[in-house]
Amino acid sequence: MNPASPIDEPVYDHALDLAGVDEGISRVPLQAPHKRLWLAGFAVAFLGVCSLFSGVAWLLFRGIGTWGIDIPVAWGFAIVNFVWWIGIGHAGTFISAFLLLLHQSWRTSINRFTEAMTLFAVACAALFPLLHLGRPQYFYWLLPYPDTMGLWPQFRSPLVWDVFAVSTYFMVSLVFWYAGLLPDLATMRDRAGPRWKRRAYGLLALGWRGDARHWVHYERMYVVLAGLATPLVISVHSIVGLDFAAAQLPGWHSTIFPPYFVGGAIFSGFAMVLTLVIPLRKVYRLEGFITDRHLDLMAKVMMTTGWVVAYGYFAEAFTAWWSRDQFEMFSQTNRLLGPYARFFWIMLICNVGVPQLLWCARLRRNVPFLFVASLLVNLGMWLERYVIVVTSLHRDFMPSSWGWYRGTRVDWAVFVGTLGLFLALLFLFVRLLPAISMTEMKMLVTRKGKVQ
Amino acid sequence: MPPLNPLRPADEFPAGASDPPDAIGRRDFLRLAGASAALAGLSGCGPPAKTLAPYVVQPESIIPGKAAYYATAMPWEGYARGLVAEAHEGRPTKLEGNPEAAESLGATDAQTQASVLSLYDPDRSRSPRRGGFPASWDAFEAEWGARRQALAAKGGAGLALLAEPTTSPTFRREMRRLLERLPRARWYQHTALARYDRNGRQADAAVGEADLIFAIGSDFLISHPAALRYARDFARRRRSRGGARANRLYVAEAALTVTGSMADHRLPILPGRLAALLAAIDGGETAGLPAAEREFASRLRADLARHGGRALCLAGPEQEGHVQEWAAKCNARSGSARLAWDGPALRSDADPGSAGGLRELAGALEAGEVSDLVILGCNPVYTGAPGADFAERLADAAFTVHLGSYADETGVLCGWHLPESHYLEAWGDLLGYGGQALIQQPLIDPLYSSRSAAEMVRFLADGMAAPGYDLVRETWRAAAGKDFEGRWAGWLNRGVVDDGTRLPAPPVSAAGGRPEQAAPAGGGLTLLFRPDPNLGDGRWSNNAWLQELPRPFTTLVWDNAACLSPDLAGRLGVREGDVIELSCGGRRISAPVALARGQADGCVVVHFGGGRTAAGGVGNGRGFDAYRLRPGEGVWRAEGLEIRPTGAWQRLVFTQHHFAMDGRDLARWTEPGGRAAPAEPDRGSLFPPWPRPGHAWAMSIDLASCIGCNACVAACQAENNIPVVGPEEAFRGREMHWIRIARYFEGEGSGLRVAALPLPCMHCENAPCELVCPVGATVHSSEGLNQMIYNRCVGTRYCSNNCPYKVRRFNFFDYRAPADSPVHLQQNPNVTVRQRGVMEKCTYCVQRIDEARIAAEVAGRALRDGDIRTACQQACPAEAIVFGDLADPQSAVSRRKREEGDYGLLTDLNTRPRTTYLPKLSNPAPLA
Repeated sequence: MNPASPIDEPVYDHALDLAGVDEGISRVPLQAPHKRLWLAGFAVAFLGVCSLFSGVAWLLFRGIGTWGIDIPVAWGFAIVNFVWWIGIGHAGTFISAFLLLLHQSWRTSINRFTEAMTLFAVACAALFPLLHLGRPQYFYWLLPYPDTMGLWPQFRSPLVWDVFAVSTYFMVSLVFWYAGLLPDLATMRDRAGPRWKRRAYGLLALGWRGDARHWVHYERMYVVLAGLATPLVISVHSIVGLDFAAAQLPGWHSTIFPPYFVGGAIFSGFAMVLTLVIPLRKVYRLEGFITDRHLDLMAKVMMTTGWVVAYGYFAEAFTAWWSRDQFEMFSQTNRLLGPYARFFWIMLICNVGVPQLLWCARLRRNVPFLFVASLLVNLGMWLERYVIVVTSLHRDFMPSSWGWYRGTRVDWAVFVGTLGLFLALLFLFVRLLPAISMTEMKMLVTRKGKVQ
Repeated sequence: MPPLNPLRPADEFPAGASDPPDAIGRRDFLRLAGASAALAGLSGCGPPAKTLAPYVVQPESIIPGKAAYYATAMPWEGYARGLVAEAHEGRPTKLEGNPEAAESLGATDAQTQASVLSLYDPDRSRSPRRGGFPASWDAFEAEWGARRQALAAKGGAGLALLAEPTTSPTFRREMRRLLERLPRARWYQHTALARYDRNGRQADAAVGEADLIFAIGSDFLISHPAALRYARDFARRRRSRGGARANRLYVAEAALTVTGSMADHRLPILPGRLAALLAAIDGGETAGLPAAEREFASRLRADLARHGGRALCLAGPEQEGHVQEWAAKCNARSGSARLAWDGPALRSDADPGSAGGLRELAGALEAGEVSDLVILGCNPVYTGAPGADFAERLADAAFTVHLGSYADETGVLCGWHLPESHYLEAWGDLLGYGGQALIQQPLIDPLYSSRSAAEMVRFLADGMAAPGYDLVRETWRAAAGKDFEGRWAGWLNRGVVDDGTRLPAPPVSAAGGRPEQAAPAGGGLTLLFRPDPNLGDGRWSNNAWLQELPRPFTTLVWDNAACLSPDLAGRLGVREGDVIELSCGGRRISAPVALARGQADGCVVVHFGGGRTAAGGVGNGRGFDAYRLRPGEGVWRAEGLEIRPTGAWQRLVFTQHHFAMDGRDLARWTEPGGRAAPAEPDRGSLFPPWPRPGHAWAMSIDLASCIGCNACVAACQAENNIPVVGPEEAFRGREMHWIRIARYFEGEGSGLRVAALPLPCMHCENAPCELVCPVGATVHSSEGLNQMIYNRCVGTRYCSNNCPYKVRRFNFFDYRAPADSPVHLQQNPNVTVRQRGVMEKCTYCVQRIDEARIAAEVAGRALRDGDIRTACQQACPAEAIVFGDLADPQSAVSRRKREEGDYGLLTDLNTRPRTTYLPKLSNPAPLA
């Protein structure tokens, strides 16, 4: 399926043989090493889930007013978090589908894990558009269903496009991820000890027997799905960008938004992959699969997309200045110098400053540094959305309606709650399923054997 | 109340069992209300009917969903505001000005609009109380019967009555009757607000006739019994394209007022410096004056000379004697009695039978001359200056009675507290400032067991209750002569006594009048007392609409503050919200600072109405009590104020935070004959225009006329069931007003320009909100209304984000009153009450459009221009708002929009707003 990587440096430990791959990867869900560490981590994440549930319960009981939103800032944390999570959800499909089509064999070691990350991030993201409705019980009015009164969604609204984009993206990502899992689930079934485990994995493997026809269908479907998922990577965040760009608010109304949002999404997605993979490979000793070269490559992608984002910032400011439109110019000045300026400058340091350090090859291999840098980029990207949403809204056309915004405790509870949910799901994933695709790793090993 | 249906056994747990005794349950009330409205115009309202009949046959006049209108009048500082009240199924819901009434001319002010809410205030006093415990009128009548006999034996000696000054002929007749029967009884009068008479005369003016007006500390456009007439007359000379007819307004005042904001030349000046300024205008020495004052004086002097008999000087009632006299002299000199004249004093504080004010009463109490004290409808414990120590003096009387709508600060200290009827519940009569008599007709039976002040006086005199209806008719029967019944019906119908019937002129005492304020001495700062723009002397403190109505220039809500000019605050090193201690004349209070632009340096303005302790759930504990600093009744200025920052900080809630336009083209100015900005070119569209058959609703707002009085905001709130959100939510920026008045300031000192920009929904033809709603909850009607479909709204709030005017409001919580609150009775049944999580906004009063359309269809005619008036338009005293059909080229709104200078807000965005503006007029004097 893949030609060899044109780069000399191996993308996995060449000491591994086929059995070593299976053993090294399936060991984690089957033998559950570091049980205590896992439990402790899961407990922390579960606290977050509790925070999510309590925050959401209070929100539904008391109403949307428990959030910090107001007039004029009618969107706040919910939209910030939504865009942030959706952005994080970009890396997985980008890595597995985009890089697959581009024949980047290094993606093999991380695609499974990042796809799972994508699913969980999109699940977290999808909570927010529902919760942010004033009357969430009627969310289905955004779906085109045959209503008895003949009412349809208003298709000119980007929010309707959002519904389609996000749900399609989630569905395709889910199918792609699950289809890729099938041979591995069969391996797990074969290696699992207790009968009930074999049953469970067997059921999930949908009767995979390694038949040649299975493989033919599998490979065809995989490429087709990759072909389907690739444009979705572009479309979903473009449409999220259009949520803003289609409005006429200074600071939102900008044609640069769709590409800039896609760049930002991949940027933050790779940052999140680094944040998660670095401790994962350390704890479960997966350095043989996820090598320093992977980190190096991901850092390079981060740096590149960081430049896309930086260009976005520049283009926005330049366009505002070039337009000589007083509202656009004010909106930019207000971002740079207004009451929320500190968020802007922190964002700029995180998103533009920090990635520049990655020019240095030594730093790209410095694991602790990469970990910190990825955290900073995550923070920066969250702030970027905060800056876009809040600073544009809080001072727009009419000075008499200018206001301010601050997240409330419920806002934080829900945001921290989704972080908890995300981590909890990842913990479960690592504990129950092979976090690296054994099938594709074995293909790599086999192909290398042939080449030699 | 016995069970209405005898066939139904008495409930084990009857409805209303938990209500306080003597109150009427909601269901009973609705039945009563329905029945009473049916009879309102016919039989009057005596004690509640003893027999109730269900609607077996529906009364002809009551159709659910269809309003009935009755003329009535509201007391405003004792004078009449003529009203037409709208009632639905017998409950008054909305007040409009009575076009027949000379002092309202169809307009209203914010307090009048909000007064209907007070009728349904759940904190109103519901039953008599004796020593704080619920009692009954019967018990009071028995007790009073005994005391009255004892008093009558002494000719009434020891009886003191304290009432607010009023123009009501019936009240004054009853009071005289009581004083005839008990000649040694004493009638004291107390108001914390200004008197309008001097030496038995009260000044009036034809504001519309004057080409030049010089207002000296006079807020005659809003804070005056004749303000609605003055504002109307003033604004008619103040159209955007007024041309040569435009008048010119000079204002010299200490703190920015609504009137000051309309000035062409405005001078912020301390009251202590007025004498020098006036002397300079007279031609005196100008060398010692600061440049701004000198320039103002010389300009005005030249202008006064130029205008001769067409110049009018108005001195505010709070001004000291020499200012009043100067204004009178100036008017006499200009020689036109058509412009300014003195009429008879109409209010009872000029009555020779009056024994004085609160100070005299306190003296009598201290001297032990008062055994029985009856307080009618006022709250001297709160509004009395601390010098009188009225709360302590109350204990000097053996028997104290308080009649009031609330068991307020005075009510809780009196032996008896008795509920007073709201003006919409009681028969009465009042005089307008110009002398026109109005009949105050109730819209509803008293909700609780209450009486009016006139009924109370009759009862005190006779020991026997008589219905207010009979009392009022007694008064007028004597005056009417022949055909009383026919005339009476006509008066009730029109609300005014307009057929030449005259009552004998009330006696007027030539002496006395306004308490002379000795020019206070002492260094330090000047402290100025003002009634609150919304809460008045504190009587409206429990009215949530008025608490949440932004004060005109600070936009402060739910609080009061010590207002300092930004310069003074800078010098003192205090910022907005810092709590300072004000000490003056040995009294001290703490108050938070609010920055007041346009205020003279060296003075601090405090407003009454805060610091209430027994106002009710809404008003208690809001702000500080400025009366604690007041040296005496009727004193408006104190010198020698000292300020000490306390280091504390208090959160003040403002609804607007940024007052500069920052070079944005929002409020525009023009000058008479000035060139208007060129009309914006039609930007066209890639799409063919929508076919728009039929009407095209549109609005035009003339900023030149708009005085920024907030009447439209309050009227909209009353008409459209707009909830109040409270200080916490208002602080979060979640207030719900569908129309707000944006305030913008330019310049400073005497160069300050103020713009009031009313902002309802613009009903854009290319509405940005409609495009982004994912469920089509906001859509365009074929007549050009941008409609909000509450049922369909899911609450994404994207429409608000995309609205460049930010006129949309969101129900972040369920802001409706509790289900059992009587305030629901105020609500307009033709307007949906919005639930939690939906967006709402100005509808151009679509319910009024539909009502007029239906009426026209029933009558088989086309809609005529003027059939539809939006609530804001109807309330506006300045006629600044015009609404109508743009498809009719002859309609008032079409004509206005054809005027030069008509402009829309932010039309660069190609929103094509249907609400457009005419620029604000400034008419400065040509340089000499």
